[in-house]
Amino acid sequence: MVSPVLLIVIPLGLAFCVPLIGMVSKRFARFVPVVACLFNLVVSVQLLPAVLSKPIVVDLGGFGAPFSINLFVGPVGILFSLLIALAGFVVSLYALAYIDKGPTTRYHTLYLLLLVGATGVVLTGDVFNLFVFFEILCISSYVLVAYRGDKDGVESAVKYLIQGALGSALLLTGIGLLYGLFGTLNMAHIAVQAGSADPIPLFVAMALIVVGLGVEAAIFPLNAWLPDAHSSAPSSISAILSGIAIEVGLYAVVRMVFTVFGASSMLSFLMFLGVLTLLVGELCAFAQSNIKRMLAYSSIGQIGLIIFAIAIATSGSITGGFFQLVSHTLSKALLFLAAGYMIYRSGSMDISSLEGMGKRMPLTAFAFAVGAFSLVGLPPFAGFPSKLLIIRGALADGGALLALLVGLVLLGTVIEGAYFFRVIQTVFFKKGDGETARCEAPAIALVSMFVLVALIIVIGVYPSLIIGVLNSAASELLVRADYIGRVLG
Amino acid sequence: MSLELLMVVALGGSLLTYVLGRVSSRLRNGFAVLVSLALVAMVASLYGKALHVSYYEDFLGMSLVLRVSGLSWLFAMTASTLGCLSVVFSLSYMKGKERTSFYYSMLLLVNAAMLGVVLSGDLLSLFIFWEIMSWSTFLLISYNGGPALAAGMKYFVMSFVGSLAMLAGLLTVYGSFGTLEFGGVAAGMLSASPGYILAIFVLFGVAFGTKNAIWPFHAWLPPAHSEAPSPFSAILSGILIKMGVYGFLLIIFVLVGLRNFMALGADGLPLHTVLSIVGAITILFPTFMAIMQNDAKKLLAWSTVAQAGYIILGISFGTSLSVAGGVFHFVNHAVFKALLFMVVGTVEYRTKGVRDLDSLGGLIKKMPLTFAVALIGVCGLIGVPLTNGFVSKWLIYKTLILERSPFLALVALFGTWGTILYSYKFLHNIFLGQLPEKYKDLERAPMTMRLPMTVLSIVVVLFGVLPGIPLSVINSIDTSFGLKPLNVTLWGLASDTGALNTINILAAVFAGLLIVWLVLKSGGRKVSVDQADNYAAGAAIPKDKYQYSVGFYAPLTRMVAPYLKDFMDSFYMRLAGWVGGLGSGIRRIYTGYVGDYAMYIVLFLAALIFVQLTWSPW
Amino acid sequence: MSFLQDYVYYIGAFGLVLIGLFIILSRRNLIKVIIGLSILDTGINLFLISVGYISKGTAPIFSKPGLVAEDMVDPVPQALVLTSIVIGVAVLALALALAMRLHKLHGTLDLRKIGELKW
Repeated sequence: MVSPVLLIVIPLGLAFCVPLIGMVSKRFARFVPVVACLFNLVVSVQLLPAVLSKPIVVDLGGFGAPFSINLFVGPVGILFSLLIALAGFVVSLYALAYIDKGPTTRYHTLYLLLLVGATGVVLTGDVFNLFVFFEILCISSYVLVAYRGDKDGVESAVKYLIQGALGSALLLTGIGLLYGLFGTLNMAHIAVQAGSADPIPLFVAMALIVVGLGVEAAIFPLNAWLPDAHSSAPSSISAILSGIAIEVGLYAVVRMVFTVFGASSMLSFLMFLGVLTLLVGELCAFAQSNIKRMLAYSSIGQIGLIIFAIAIATSGSITGGFFQLVSHTLSKALLFLAAGYMIYRSGSMDISSLEGMGKRMPLTAFAFAVGAFSLVGLPPFAGFPSKLLIIRGALADGGALLALLVGLVLLGTVIEGAYFFRVIQTVFFKKGDGETARCEAPAIALVSMFVLVALIIVIGVYPSLIIGVLNSAASELLVRADYIGRVLG
Repeated sequence: MSLELLMVVALGGSLLTYVLGRVSSRLRNGFAVLVSLALVAMVASLYGKALHVSYYEDFLGMSLVLRVSGLSWLFAMTASTLGCLSVVFSLSYMKGKERTSFYYSMLLLVNAAMLGVVLSGDLLSLFIFWEIMSWSTFLLISYNGGPALAAGMKYFVMSFVGSLAMLAGLLTVYGSFGTLEFGGVAAGMLSASPGYILAIFVLFGVAFGTKNAIWPFHAWLPPAHSEAPSPFSAILSGILIKMGVYGFLLIIFVLVGLRNFMALGADGLPLHTVLSIVGAITILFPTFMAIMQNDAKKLLAWSTVAQAGYIILGISFGTSLSVAGGVFHFVNHAVFKALLFMVVGTVEYRTKGVRDLDSLGGLIKKMPLTFAVALIGVCGLIGVPLTNGFVSKWLIYKTLILERSPFLALVALFGTWGTILYSYKFLHNIFLGQLPEKYKDLERAPMTMRLPMTVLSIVVVLFGVLPGIPLSVINSIDTSFGLKPLNVTLWGLASDTGALNTINILAAVFAGLLIVWLVLKSGGRKVSVDQADNYAAGAAIPKDKYQYSVGFYAPLTRMVAPYLKDFMDSFYMRLAGWVGGLGSGIRRIYTGYVGDYAMYIVLFLAALIFVQLTWSPW
Repeated sequence: MSFLQDYVYYIGAFGLVLIGLFIILSRRNLIKVIIGLSILDTGINLFLISVGYISKGTAPIFSKPGLVAEDMVDPVPQALVLTSIVIGVAVLALALALAMRLHKLHGTLDLRKIGELKW
């Protein structure tokens, strides 16, 4: 069997090969991320059955668990690494055509580094290692946001960098505190001792870490960088930031709260925070006239929904949360990719400038519509089973408070439906200003979009395809003792 | 005939229609008609059967079921028939418009989704098809662009609120009973507490009420019906909104059970009375709104809201007579309202999109057949004896008399008077009066438009003369609800308190006609005058100086207009404005200054630690 | 006095962190904010080191006979700090590069004036 280490090592190695290959042929270098992502995809799929039956723990450096850095490839990890590889693959296909100007080899290097960082975060079992991978993810995304080097890009990159660096600083402080408290950086080892630690320093450490990671995870009110960065990055990067980066941040928060700290008393607070994030995101998105900013705020809303679902902490709702995460990654990546070419052709990010695009680029517009329908949660698309699961999980509890929160969530969904359908009307049913020439996106970009369309429909119709992984992922989060037992033996 | 095959044909037909449209529009049109005809045949072959198949064993742990019962057969039959006629009608209506493949494919998809809704055997499939129906309807309403966009948006938001309420309701049901199949839910409801049932009923009622456009959820209907393409308006008004009626019937009689339902609500004000009152409001206010409209489709749209009130009024009493009245009125309304929308569609088609009642007139000479079917449709709408509307209204009035509800009866009566007024306005302003010069060379309606209209008008008369045909089907539905069967005959029905026999009416009408004919014949004198001269008793008036269709019912309108503000609609619009305002307000926290953002992060952290140190809640 | 002795590094680290935060929150000039970030980083690094520091401890290398592990400082935080410094330098370099670019495009480094992306 292949070692999960390859999931990190091969793309990392390839990332640094890109500039070398680029010296020989720039055209050829473009294909490196495609190959690397495909490799990760294949390896993740291969690992899947083994991981589902028993999580794989890899000790690096040859020492036993608490003493060396270890990778923990459980259902959650494999789910995320699959998702990262999949989204990475699709977006790198898209980028083959989309990224045609500027320092393209650097783009591809950084893009791979971003994915390596993300994969590392979700697979590692060591807190400091998580920090390092997290920084790789963040730094490469700061640069990629400014890739175009235009006014908006640089401005948002600077803002993103300041907030991100502040968040990382808090995270590092928290990790230092943890080390001071427990003398270990191994997640499982910390988890064992967390129960008996002095509660106040423990809480401070947790607060520092959650806030630090929360910046990347776009939890309200830590998410001010997101609308700027997502809207001014190249669309392929927006797709990855929205589809992968914030999800990975969310993973880190959830892993810390659930597994490392086992802070079940924080969950109801997180639930409120999730609903608040959802409402703020949806309301802001509703008031946007810039399509990419609208999509960015919608990501905030979706993240809020996922936090809400996971914080309910029943196996049904966590499954729903993970399902929502999958469907959000697919749909939002699709939306950004489709919007990317629509913006490129119309020359403006204003929603009103997309009038008549349904006729000028029917396939792209169709893909956009599928993404929007899925995100709103309409059957038969992937967003529907996820919303169904979340609400079922929330209502199964039967509490009045949860019922109220579900009401608010549904309200947010209505707002979301309103602004997405407004865009769909603009794209399909408003008469454009005379320009009617066909200007479809290039074939390779269409292929990448339609891979996502197909996935969204297949998952929407046959949710049972992925429900097994999601269920085991939910139980990995809920049963801390299993995690600890697997790592420490 | 298996139900899965039916759904596969319906859904696959819609998809294939789009694909074929890429190849050839002629092929596509033929295929669309063929699919819709096949669906009619397939649904018809299901008559009297009781099938129950589980077509998807494990959708997130819930099994999805299709089933057919008497109730669902009636709705499916109406839906597929109207769908077929509407496709045929579209053939010429849509000629030369853009994106016709999309249109046909969506029309068939709506049709398929409606069949899915009524053939569902569990609440989840019902919801899934309900949602597919909602979004495909949204796309069709928005199809025309321009003002249709706002109409589509309003429809979607209101319908989405409704369906999310339904989702919450059905998941609550799943939480308590562990099943969503109708049988299991009904069994669970037997022992549920009244408060619980009431909550479920309200959640589902919002969804069904919104779709059925009963007051106060009617706001989406008038713009949506008037802005949609006319063949689709016929479906919208004829059957799509009646999915709400189906939902109410389902939840009252199948899921909750009549006995439970009648016991719901407070002591002095039981739920069924509330529903009757809502029905009455829905009759009264939209009727007057209809009288005031000058847009033919808006007039018909408001009339649809009002007629939905009659149906709800009928259902809410829960006796065999009243339910038969409500269900029969649904069938009748589907027939004559689809007919009337097609009439407007024909006029629109020939006049290149004119539906303003003030500028039309005198088309009777140009489109005699269209006038004839419009007359029949209007008669059905008013409830003139020997048309189908008469029988269903008779049943509803009979109920109101038997149940001793003089006030509701008065409201219903008012509604009928109002119906006469706006129906006459509709008929007169399009077909009677002067023919404007510019319509001098108007051609009559094309074949593919006349055919569906003729079919529908024949049905109006057929069901009016032989009400026993539909009533026997409805009677079997009544019995399946556990109600006392009615004594239905081919010509009407007999009961202890009064009988309806259309033979007598038929005889009376023919006798009357004979007498009139004899009188006219014996008079013998015949003078031909110009149509315009009719008004001044033969005295000459300058043409185009007087247009008698302008300002119809002006005094009445002047009198009631101040009281007829659609305040629910303005409330919704203001609500939408508030949400937008709230959004614009909230997004100002993202000030653009990164120092503020850093401050948020630090403050949030400080607040967390402060709260924990002070109150230690975590 | 011994309190001060025991905690002097923590106090120093905390002070540096606060100074860094204060600069980030109160200064408008991007360069100053970057300096603030750098100071904040330094404070955190100092904090990490002091977590593993033992008063009068030696380097964790068995270089002479007679050295016992109890007298050595904890090597792990030092490794962490090394990594963190590297990351800090990368972020700093990137931030300065972006600042140059920003100045070229916007003609100012005043963060209050660079607020075209908002709401």
